[in-house]
Formats: sequence, C-alpha cells, structure tokens
Amino acid sequence: MKIRDEVRLLRHGRDWRGRSTVPRSADPWVQSEEERDFPTAWARTRPAVVVRSALRRGLLRPVTWSQTRPVVEGVEYLENLHGPAVFVANHSSHLDAPLIVSSLPRRFADRLAVGAAADYFFDARVRAAATVLFFNAFPVERHGSRRLRSLAVELLDDGWNLLLFPEGTRSEDGWMNAFKPGTAQLCVSKGVPVVPVALRGAYAAMPRGRNWPVPGRPRIAVRYGRPLHPVEGEGFRELRTRMMQAVTRLAAEEELGWYGALRAEADNELELPTRPSEGGGAAGWRRIWDSTRPSDDGPGRRVWTW
Amino acid sequence: MSRPGFVLEVDERTPPLLMHQGEGFRLERLPLGSKVIYPPDSLPGLRNVDTAIARALLNPIGIEPLPELLRPGMRLTVVFDDISLPLPPMQTPDVRQRVIEHVLEMAAAKGVDDVELIAGNSLHRRMTPAELKRVVGDRVFRSFFPDHLRNHDAEDHSNLVEVGTTAQGEVVELNRRAMESDLVVYVNITLTAMSGGPKSVSVGLASYRSLRHHHNVHTLRHSRSFNDPANSAMHHSYERMKDVIGDHVTVFQIEATLNNDTFPSSMGFLNKREWEWNLADQGRYLGVKRVNELLPAKSRRRLWQSTAAPYGVTAVNAGVPSEVHPQTIANVHRQQLTEVRGQSDVAIFGLPYICPYNVNSIMNPILVMSLGLGYFFNLYKNRPIVREGGTAIFYHPVPGEFHPVHHPSYIDFFDEVLTESIDPVVLETKFEEQFATDPWYIQLYRKSYAYHGVHPFYMWYWGAHALEHLGEVIFVGGNRRTTARMGFKAASTLADALEIASHTVGSSPSISYLHAPPLVMADVR
Repeated sequence: MKIRDEVRLLRHGRDWRGRSTVPRSADPWVQSEEERDFPTAWARTRPAVVVRSALRRGLLRPVTWSQTRPVVEGVEYLENLHGPAVFVANHSSHLDAPLIVSSLPRRFADRLAVGAAADYFFDARVRAAATVLFFNAFPVERHGSRRLRSLAVELLDDGWNLLLFPEGTRSEDGWMNAFKPGTAQLCVSKGVPVVPVALRGAYAAMPRGRNWPVPGRPRIAVRYGRPLHPVEGEGFRELRTRMMQAVTRLAAEEELGWYGALRAEADNELELPTRPSEGGGAAGWRRIWDSTRPSDDGPGRRVWTW
Repeated sequence: MSRPGFVLEVDERTPPLLMHQGEGFRLERLPLGSKVIYPPDSLPGLRNVDTAIARALLNPIGIEPLPELLRPGMRLTVVFDDISLPLPPMQTPDVRQRVIEHVLEMAAAKGVDDVELIAGNSLHRRMTPAELKRVVGDRVFRSFFPDHLRNHDAEDHSNLVEVGTTAQGEVVELNRRAMESDLVVYVNITLTAMSGGPKSVSVGLASYRSLRHHHNVHTLRHSRSFNDPANSAMHHSYERMKDVIGDHVTVFQIEATLNNDTFPSSMGFLNKREWEWNLADQGRYLGVKRVNELLPAKSRRRLWQSTAAPYGVTAVNAGVPSEVHPQTIANVHRQQLTEVRGQSDVAIFGLPYICPYNVNSIMNPILVMSLGLGYFFNLYKNRPIVREGGTAIFYHPVPGEFHPVHHPSYIDFFDEVLTESIDPVVLETKFEEQFATDPWYIQLYRKSYAYHGVHPFYMWYWGAHALEHLGEVIFVGGNRRTTARMGFKAASTLADALEIASHTVGSSPSISYLHAPPLVMADVR
C-alpha cells in the first residue's frame, strides 16, 4: 500500500490532532486521559512577563480594539489600590479577558494572572500554551471532577493580581448568573480587596459559539467599580452578595446611568442574579433578546457608498 | 484499576482496526456490526518480584516450605519451561532466572550438592547455550553449564524411566534423573491457561511413548478447548499421569503469570485500542510499518525475533501442581478472559509473527496452521467463537519457508505427507509412526537443534478440533500454493474472503474478530 493510502486509512475518522471518535460500544470504557497539570510557572518569569506585555500592547489590544469599540470607565478607582487584588467580572464571552487585561493600567496588567477553566483551556496543550502565554492563565477546576490544587492562593501570596470569573462559565444568554462561592472564600481568607468589573455588550459582540467578534465594531462597556475590602468578621456569603450587587449595579449603569444605578440599588430595585436552575426573572428568549440589543450609541457599521 | 476486556461493536465511529499479519501488521476496516473481542487492559506487574518469589517459596500450597524439603545429600532437580514460553520472550531478567536463583540460594544454604537443571523441552528442539543462558541468567549458567544444566533428551533411553501406567493404560515414561530425584522443582510460566499445572512434568520431561497418549487426534478433538483444562481431554490425561508421577517423586511447582505488556514501548500502539492512539502512536505505526516493509526479509525477521516483551509478573505461586494451578489459572483469566455473547458465522484472527515453535526461527506453513487453527481458534471457554460449519478468516502471508535446521521433518511432512492427505486421522494412522521413529530425525533432534520427527504431526493435530468444526478456512494475503496444499483458501482482501465465505455462511454473516495479541480468551456464552 502506498504511504499516501496508508496515511489516509490511518487518518480515517480522526481530527487534526489525531483523535478518533470513540465507538459507541466503547464509550463506557473510555479512560480519562492521564491528568497532568500543564506547567504555568514559566509564564510568570520575567522574560515571559516582558513578552506578554509586548503581545498585549502590540497585538491583543490593537486587534480587540479594531474589532470592537470598548468604552472603559472607572479605571480611576484603581489609583489608590495597592498590593494584590482580585478582579471579578461577569462572563459572557471570550472577549471578556482580552478586554479587561487590555484596559487595566499597566501596573496591574503586568502582574495579573487569569483563572481559566482547566477542562476547556487546558485540555489541549497548544491551546493551554497560548492561553498561558497571552493571559498568564492558571487552571481552575470547575466541576470538582478531580482535585486540582488551586494555584490562586499561591499566586496571591506571591503578589500577583487575579482575574476571576466567579460565575464559573460563560453565560448562555448574556445575563449574569449567580457567583460561585470560591472567589469570595479566597478573598475573605486572604483579606484581599475585590474589584468588581462589569462588561456589557460582549455577549452581543461575540457570544458562545463564535470565535471572532461580529462585524461592525460593536460597542462594549467595560466598567470598573470601587474596590470592595472584606471587613472584619464578614463571611464569604456576605462578601459574595456584595460582589454580585456591585457587578449588577455597574452593569445597570448602561441603562440607568451612574446615579440612577446607585438609586436603584438603594431602593432595592436591582435584581440580583440567580442560578439558571432557580429560574425566576425573564424568560430565556427575553434574556437573549435583551443581551443582544444593539447599542444606539456611535456610528455602528460603516457602509461604503459610491 | 485496569479496565476489563470488552466486546466492541463496529459502528461508523470506529477507526480502522489493527490486524497482525505475520511479520507485519495492517489496519483493516471491518463491516459495520462486527464484534471485536478486546482483552482486559494489562494488569499492573508486581512491584517487587523477588519478594513475591520468596513469599511463594516459603508459603507454598499443599506442601512444606521449600527450605524444609531441602537437606544435604539429597538429589535436587530443577526443571524449567523451555524457549516456547513466554511469547515473545520476555526482557531479561527472565522470571525463571529469578525463581531459579531463589531456589538455588535456599539449596546452597541447606548444603545441597547434587543439583541438576533441565530444560523441559520435551520433543521441542534443544535450546542453544545462548538461549539457556538468557533464560537462567549468567550466574546460574556459569555455575552449572554444560554438565549440570542441559536439555531434556526424549530419545536418550538410558536416561528415561517408565514410572507407571495410568488406570486407562497410559504409559508414563519420563526423564530418569528427575524421577529418581528426592525433589523436582518445576519453574513454570503460565502464559495461557493451557500450560502449567499437571502438564509441566508430564509433557516437559516425557518421551514419545508417553506423549502419544495425549498428543493425538482423539484427545485434541475432545479438548474444547485445550485452553480450558476442565473441558480438555488432553488435560484429563495429564491429570491421570500427574497422579502416577506424584506416587513416585515429590514435585514442587512454581508458577508465574504475566500481564499483557506484549510489545516494547517503541511499538506501544500494538498494546493499545485504536481509538486511543495519539499522534505519537500513529507516527510510530506509520514509521514502524514503513521501515518493516522496506527491510530485506532476513533483517525483518531478525528485527521481529529480537523483540523482547516488557512483561510484568502479576503473580507467583508455589505448591503441589494440582493445588497451585487453579490459582494460576484464575490469574491468567483475570488478564485474558473476556465474556462474549453468542457465536458468530465468521471469526477473524490476525496471526502474529511468533508461535511457540519458531522462536529465533521461521514460521513455516504448518506452524501457521497450528497457530491459527490450534492456538488462536482454541482461545475460548465454553463454545468456540465461530459456530459449527462457520468460517475462520486468518491474516497471514503463509510463506513457503522452512528452517532447515529447526524443522527438517516439517519439510518432508509438507512435501510428502500433506500431498497424500490432510485428514488428521489418516496422517496419524498411516504416517506418524514412521516419522516418530525415523533414525535421522532422531539424530537431528538429539545432536542438532531439530524438532522431533513427530512434531509436525502434533501441530496438525493441534488444529484437528478446528478442522472438524469449521466449514471454511481462508487466509487473507496467504500464499496460494501453501494454503492450497493444506486444504485452505487464499484471498487478497477481506472483501474477497467474505465473498468466498458467502457460499457457506451467506452474504451478511455475523463476524467476530479476536483482537490478539495481546492475548485474549473469549468466554463465549
């Protein structure tokens, strides 16, 4: 048999990484791949920080800003923030991390590590390497399927800022889901401040299933809030509620404005996110409808005329 | 934990599956709905084999600990399995070496001077000094070879003794030195459920006079299968002989079982399920296959024959043969047994490059037949994988090549006997005696490195049950002349083979593929 035919036969039914589909009858016997932690320490070395900073400013930010129209607000709240902090944001798109790391002041961005889903970003070595290089990512176990020792504590101890998405996954419909308690537990135990960040428009720009923003440079609001400091005697549940309130209020500024959102919060009119399983709030279609509402601010897609 | 064996049902998501084909292999796409019988994953080997051996020798089953059986002035004979086990040969140190060293350490400590080591090669060819050295290790070899480390000679009548006759009139004639010893220590590797236990001494040290009682067409046709001792007439004969031997000499049997790490890491893809091959496995598959095809035939054979398996030892047990062997069989089943529901119309087997009788040699057509219709067909419990009257499809080129030193009687058997008849009964009654007593074959067996003159007959009988059971035997890629001589058919492709088989099993037969090696035994319910 010619080598070309041999390769064709061998490649039959396999993807570009050489992975085969599993016959149905073999499904019960599939062995999870040997779970090895992808090494990430190299990404926190000085040369890697320099390379990442150059990539962020020379590639990530220009590309993101060329494809979307980010409006960044609230960076001034970070002026008096010193020492490691945990940035928490709602999560609805793969654009979230690039938007935040590219909009943060350099002193934070250069010392930032991003928590990334171990089962998504670290399942293939190529993807893991790229994520670690660009975002200084570290694996976060989402489903508790294996006991991965979290690096978060170690990173905070070493003075790194963290960017975490406490919802645990990208929103299905653009609406924020309830936060998982891990981030609040971490902040309470380490006594580090939390910076709430709200992103609006990212879902409409690049929802699940897309790997590039929609055409037309959609507007995305990236809004930083005042840092929240865990107070003496505060439990992680209380801090978690404060985090959710802060992010919800920042997101609501899109419709209500800064003062309006503050008023709405004071009047208890802001609806806190719930778990999708808990239901409540608007119907699924209405949530997506709302999340994908085009922004009326700005020129929108440029149309060439002759 | 290792995964158990399982039966795959080929669907559209199944990648092409690996088939061994003599000194090569290939990928084959089986028809949808075919069943593929996979062995359990390789079991973890013992971490400390030496500790396990010492524990077995000090805590044997049904007999005193070995040191208590040893005393100054006694005659001790250590017998070990010959080169036919395991397959492929295991990476050194061989587990037999480790066991023998432990036994000799104890014997030395007890002041035993009269020690003989004998390879239980029965009617197999003698092992060369280098082969002996590889099995027993350098230290043992230097201490005992050539005077006290030797091959069993089944034609040295001065060194054979008739120890008795079974109730069914079976003569038990065995090695005199062993039978006149105070203690026989048998060091066995049980690779398949067929070997070990009562078979070890009654076959390994026997003469033709004794072997003919169980190595014959009648017992082999009634051994269903010979890998299931409880249902094997051949093993029932061994059992009867064991009782006669037990009245005569004390046998301390040490049995080791191996896991399924059959191929070295460079060919690790051969140990894995195809849909679990990663890119490195696929690269190795292409690389090894390509190099294998480009190599000259001699180099290719040398390369395959130099392959040593990185087997792990899964258990070591010691005791009287009848009591230690059930434990050994349980360990073999733990590694090899896969439950299969129902028989099929067609069974497919990919025959590898090696069988028990072509280590460092050539697999001639008779050995291919014995490997396929004997060993592989009989890898079952309860019922054969293929129904009565069904078709067996084997993958092997069946080249018309013979090793002139190792297999001289095979050449005559192929050219002169098979041209007369392929019926095992006719061969047995008309030709066996002549080959078994031919002085030239006996001379070559004793002084050269030839298999005994009668050995090709035994190989043919090995397939007697399959010949009786099957309606059709087809070799994919088989040499037309050699397969036709043996009464089989050759096909270029699987599609052609199924086309040929359609005359006996119809156009849409049920198909089972026994995915071996690594070894798997089907428990057909």
